[in-house]
Amino acid sequence: MIKPSEEYETLIPIDEYLAAGIHIGTQQKTKSMKDYIYRVRTDGLYVLDVQATDKRVRLAAKFLAKYDPSKILVVSARQYGQRPATMFSKSVGAKAIVGRFIPNTLTNPDFYDYVEPDVVVVTDPSGDSQAINEAIDVGIPVVALCDTNNLTSNVDLVIPTNNKGRKALTLIYWLLAKEILKERGEEDRFRYSVSDFEMEF
Amino acid sequence: MTEKSDRCMSCGVTLIGPVGARFPCPNCGEIILRCSRCRKQSNPYTCPNCGFLGP
Repeated sequence: MIKPSEEYETLIPIDEYLAAGIHIGTQQKTKSMKDYIYRVRTDGLYVLDVQATDKRVRLAAKFLAKYDPSKILVVSARQYGQRPATMFSKSVGAKAIVGRFIPNTLTNPDFYDYVEPDVVVVTDPSGDSQAINEAIDVGIPVVALCDTNNLTSNVDLVIPTNNKGRKALTLIYWLLAKEILKERGEEDRFRYSVSDFEMEF
Repeated sequence: MTEKSDRCMSCGVTLIGPVGARFPCPNCGEIILRCSRCRKQSNPYTCPNCGFLGP
């Protein structure tokens, strides 16, 4: 279990994480996500450990930086994750599929929009289940943004975060993009602010 | 001399053919192998090199 400590230095100030609502979970919890839960509020809402999120963002960035950028696929069926996912792909040079994930995109070479990625990043394991199922078929790793109510079946790297909030998704994708470029040594190429990643109404 | 076979990092089952997943450890880059059953059941895996505990 990851406990908060005062010595740990986060990527951005903890207040920014809290302002974006990264730590806000749901009123359900799953066994697979219990290690990332910090506490339960009196209203029954499970609160995520921000330090665990921060550590996982660093690890995920390190992991994704090992891959060829054009071989990273970002998927977001969720409305609030669509612009962050698109901006993430634009900044790191990956491919994004937002909205409906057309079946056979990863498995049918005759399909007009066929892609052959080496790693898949999903915004919500339950909403993007088609992408995960196809990733299993082709045997590629899956990185997923998981909330307290998500199951981590077929996920190879979990990033515990609020995956429902607009600001939370914006911040997590922005941080991930920034860290990936930092790992690659192209930090000066990243000229986007958090608001550039934010979904507009 | 026997050839070293690919084994799942969680359960130790021998992996034959394109099943499961093969990816570098997020922490150290050592190759991690997971069988399809352990992936489905979300069984934890440990990196043999750095001790990273996933998923």
